[in-house]
Amino acid sequence: MGAVTYPDARVISFINENMIPLRVRFDAQPLAADFNVNWTPTIATLDSEGKEHHRTVGFLAPEEFIPSLLLGIAKVYFDTDRFDVALVKLEKLLSDYPKSHSAPEAIYLQGVSLYKSTDHPKTLKQAYEKLQDNYPGSEWTKRAYPYRLL
Amino acid sequence: MENKIKWENRMDAALTGARSENKHVLLDFFNPD
Repeated sequence: MGAVTYPDARVISFINENMIPLRVRFDAQPLAADFNVNWTPTIATLDSEGKEHHRTVGFLAPEEFIPSLLLGIAKVYFDTDRFDVALVKLEKLLSDYPKSHSAPEAIYLQGVSLYKSTDHPKTLKQAYEKLQDNYPGSEWTKRAYPYRLL
Repeated sequence: MENKIKWENRMDAALTGARSENKHVLLDFFNPD
């Protein structure tokens, strides 16, 4: 990450504009134990109380790292029932990084966020159909499979 | 534009910054070796 991703101008700009970056050694205690870290890089998105909402393990290139961070930010809002803000972040991810590995999970969360904010089950079915059309092999398409019946 | 990431190295400082700037924390556990 330090040789390729963090020096990337797009990554620098995104992080400095959107996040508070915190970097610690993998064996720094008590954090490493608190977060159950056993491999590097382990990268987590935390809310302002320090609660974890998203985690990746392993190298991510810039074109995968930024959408992963966007997904993490969206999940902070999703986990705290602020679905309107979560939807804005998810739409940004899907419009700017539609081919990223984070996109299928974003579509899944988009469907669930719409359902939880509107109570319309069709939003879940639409998420499945979008996943099936665009990412038929994704695990998130499989997870949404039951929604085809709604 | 900044040409590098402005890393914090303490959790309490990062959380204080997150609250004051209404942002979330990117926590990177790294291996310096």
